Amino acid sequence: MNGSVKANTLMPLVFVAAAAVPFVTQSYGLAFSISLLSAFILAQSWDWLDGKAGYTNLGHFAFFGVGAYAFAILSSKGVAIYWGIAAGALAAMITALVLSFPLFRLRGNYFAFATLALLPLFEILAFNLTDITKGADGIPLSLPRQINLLYGLLLGGALAAVAVSFWLDRSRFGFALKAIRNDEQVAETSGIRIFPMKCAVFMLGSAFAGFAGAIQAWYLGYIDPPTVFGLDVALIPIAMALFGGSGLIWGPLVGVLILGTVHDLLLTHLPVLQTTAYGLLVLLIGRFLPGGLLRTKLLKKVPFLASLAQEHHDFAPSFSGDLGATPLFSPNARTEDASLVLDVQGVVMRFGGNAAVNDVSLQIKPGEVIGLVGPNGSGKTTLFNCISKVYEPTSGSIVLSGQSLASKRRDEVAHLGIGRTYQNPRPFGDLTVIENIAIALMFRGRDPLHHKQALVEAGRFAEFAGIGDKLSVRADTLSLQDKKVLEFARALASAPKLLLVDEVASGLTPTEVHRFIALLRAARDQYGVTIIWVEHIFWALAEIVDRIVVLESGTKLMEGSIEEAVNNQRVQEAYFGSKGEAA
Amino acid sequence: MDITIYLQLMIGGILLGGIYALVAFGLSLIYGVVRILNFSHGTLVAIGGILASLAYTDLGLPPYVSGIALVLAFGLFGRLFFQFLLEPLSARTPKEAEIGVVLVTVGALLMMSDIAAFLAGPTPKNIPVRFDPIELGDLILSSTQVYALAGIILLTVALHFFLRYSWFGRAIRAVSQDAFGATISAIPGKTLHGNTFAFGCGLVAIAGVLYATMFPVDPYMGFSLTVKAFTIIILGGIGNLTGSLLAGILLGVVESLAAFLIGSEWAPGISIMLLLIILVVRPQGIFGGKPA
Repeated sequence: MNGSVKANTLMPLVFVAAAAVPFVTQSYGLAFSISLLSAFILAQSWDWLDGKAGYTNLGHFAFFGVGAYAFAILSSKGVAIYWGIAAGALAAMITALVLSFPLFRLRGNYFAFATLALLPLFEILAFNLTDITKGADGIPLSLPRQINLLYGLLLGGALAAVAVSFWLDRSRFGFALKAIRNDEQVAETSGIRIFPMKCAVFMLGSAFAGFAGAIQAWYLGYIDPPTVFGLDVALIPIAMALFGGSGLIWGPLVGVLILGTVHDLLLTHLPVLQTTAYGLLVLLIGRFLPGGLLRTKLLKKVPFLASLAQEHHDFAPSFSGDLGATPLFSPNARTEDASLVLDVQGVVMRFGGNAAVNDVSLQIKPGEVIGLVGPNGSGKTTLFNCISKVYEPTSGSIVLSGQSLASKRRDEVAHLGIGRTYQNPRPFGDLTVIENIAIALMFRGRDPLHHKQALVEAGRFAEFAGIGDKLSVRADTLSLQDKKVLEFARALASAPKLLLVDEVASGLTPTEVHRFIALLRAARDQYGVTIIWVEHIFWALAEIVDRIVVLESGTKLMEGSIEEAVNNQRVQEAYFGSKGEAA
Repeated sequence: MDITIYLQLMIGGILLGGIYALVAFGLSLIYGVVRILNFSHGTLVAIGGILASLAYTDLGLPPYVSGIALVLAFGLFGRLFFQFLLEPLSARTPKEAEIGVVLVTVGALLMMSDIAAFLAGPTPKNIPVRFDPIELGDLILSSTQVYALAGIILLTVALHFFLRYSWFGRAIRAVSQDAFGATISAIPGKTLHGNTFAFGCGLVAIAGVLYATMFPVDPYMGFSLTVKAFTIIILGGIGNLTGSLLAGILLGVVESLAAFLIGSEWAPGISIMLLLIILVVRPQGIFGGKPA
């Protein structure tokens, strides 16, 4: 496609054309452009939460309504227009902040549903709080109609929305949202504090919706509850964004241009059943194009148009493939030799009546590699989950380098220096190898990197781990082995003091297992990382571990050298059944 | 302070709540088994009520006759709706499937209420069957509503036994617990999903007819009923019939007390407020932060 004109270079022209509209026409064309710009601001700002963070907020229009009402109420009391618009955006933002607390308890369809329920709720409030909203009568406004100024503000808002979208694609904040979209728990154990991130993007989108709502109120000169909280109007901008392609940089714009035109034709040519026609359109988009028009295979084959479908990860930072002489990160200091890296005392984890971990104590010195073994269901992974705060232990204490982990969140624990992998690998699936590692580098507690630097440094970690040739491969398309390697690289990128490695070797060939052992050894020797390794393969453990801890039914069966474990009668019974029974 | 008023309100709330619970059963069953949150669920209730009302006033069909016909018609509709509009989405990526289901059912919601309003008019309709009211001292009960509630309780019990002991009931419980495990145990998962969706839609028809005998129905009330049903399944637990019945009754009573104490114009907002409050106060209540 080099040298040829790409469709996305034409996109700025759309905005230039939009800017020219008031100079050409002051009648129908201007009104149509105003409705498109307003819809675009809504569609684009909606897509930040949906396309980036993966939360489908069907009640986005309610914030448009809040902005419109805030503007109308203040303007009818004589507040200046600019202040009214600012108040509209602010009111929507504050509403979003308050609603974050209940709404982000939900995910998926539940979140979509609860947000859609905001529309009837706000409609009832607008109808019933008659002292403020004048109820069903609505609020008439007698403001000067400075149409060119109004248009300029809308265009400015639309351009700002595009700018924010580009910024989100490349910023640290944007990467946090992408991590959240893929796997919230892994995002947390990678050091991201997720709630403020979700809340912030929700507030940001709502502020834009409130801004558009305030301008709409100014433009219409009148608002009542059904205009701004009606279910039928509310879903239009969302359908537009989804039709174009949620999460794609040009998705909302393409959707608004096409569906906006279709909607306008429906309104002018269809005397009845307009909602039915629109509903049918929504239904058909859902049935046939849930990923959006720009993601269809057909469109990707047209070279000119294909550039519109650029996914955010269609860029890969250059990496020389050379590890360089500088270490990946400054090794953990050896001065704390006297103290323990990890001190686990009497940890109990109960699920109902079942104690998955029952009174386990464990002391680990810096630079040690501990093998954690035991039959399936003996509590190894549960213990990992207690240490990384995926679970809050029922009782007992966990201390990392002198700091108690009690009442610490997952991201705080990650910042204190605990990195982990998962038994079934959980990379951020729709991100590339390099992005996966870069996220850990951006959000680690010790010496976090700027996002640009992180994307470069991530290449070195990938190279170190042996997947340097797959930097721009989507993580969910990697082989199991590579996913495990990626998880290890991601965990190492957080510069951990303590690395929890969960069954990396199972399912791998002996050659691959040897590679892993080499990696673990390098992490310990070069970077002073202390390691707990959950594994069933004894010969692999024997190559590297200093000590072995055996769990059975949630309790510690024994602790000692690998020879002691293998010769221990109780360990043999736990693994192979009792000799008495066998005989 | 007149205690009779409160007693009367409580009874009215229980009757109302029974209907809500019935609406929630279908939603809960479909979600529990097929993992689809049907946004147009309550709208189907409204359509069922409107059709039964028209059948009664224009054709003179008694509600139980139109009820049976509607159960069959809605069941067939549900089966086809699922097969042609929802099932094909399962081949897509999880995110696309999720968005697709939302758009298809929301689109259906918009279409159904608009078409119903166009064909039958937007005015509220009901089935004006009236029996003599039952008087208990100072309390006056509408016997229609008492019969309706008795019907709901009977239906809940029948449903409970059906889901517990029939082949269909066992199979859908198996699928809802472990779809893959059920498939390798030779349970035809796809067919079962379609049939569960149809079954849920059939239940909706009953709810619609009963609703119209008690209260007026209009084409635009559907979504607020879906919201109520959703609040109920969050309160009562997915697939938990008894929990849903109790949660429904609780919601009905709260709504009817609130209508009396702060004004009936606030009643439609109660369920949404309740939903938001539950989510803050008892977040781990039903889903425990697991992906929904």
